[in-house]
Amino acid sequence: MRGIPTVLITVSPEVSAQMRPPRALYPKGFGVGNSTGRPGMRELQRAVVRDALLLLTENTRPGEVVTREYPDYGEQYEPPRVKAGR
Amino acid sequence: MTTLSRKCVPFTPFDGELSKATVAIVTSGGVHLKEQEPFNIADDLGDLTFRIIPEDADSSELMVTHHHYNHTDADRDINVVFPLDVLRDLKEEGFIRELARKHVGYMGYTMQLKAMYEGTAPEIANEIDRGSRADVVLLTGG
Repeated sequence: MRGIPTVLITVSPEVSAQMRPPRALYPKGFGVGNSTGRPGMRELQRAVVRDALLLLTENTRPGEVVTREYPDYGEQYEPPRVKAGR
Repeated sequence: MTTLSRKCVPFTPFDGELSKATVAIVTSGGVHLKEQEPFNIADDLGDLTFRIIPEDADSSELMVTHHHYNHTDADRDINVVFPLDVLRDLKEEGFIRELARKHVGYMGYTMQLKAMYEGTAPEIANEIDRGSRADVVLLTGG
């Protein structure tokens, strides 16, 4: 069986971590519906996608979500939490 | 048929160089072409289907059908959840080699987790494996 390397961009790191993705980037403070940034912010979108793809070439720990900060995004959001008891 | 592991992280090493890699996007953000059948948001159980988005899709021809996140921003610029134009930029600058022939959108909400896991997910993996010529896959949610 041949696998396909993947990398996830998540704005819900706690929820995504439950699924133990092989590689994942959390752009800190990005809101749900803004995986790569806000509309029209192409340079920011490029930076986020570049960083996500670069995780493919780094020694990341499988299942770990890597957090990076992108101040250009502006107002920050609290990510969704995993409900207690689950 | 591609199988998915539940026991461990299905980590596949990437030995190549990004500048020589072909990249596919798979999104759970409910993205599809306007001309394709929208996802069924009326069914409380969710929708287990997915849509193939060709590499030459015009981003203005893409839309979102998903009622479990606010996609107002994606309606204005699909690249916030489905960065197809962004990948085109990265190809232009030589950061990646190519966009895959096929990309995939599905609605990442379902109450039928087993069917999603055992049916839809391997089907998507097979589409990518057989038809897209992708070396790597970029996954996005909403």
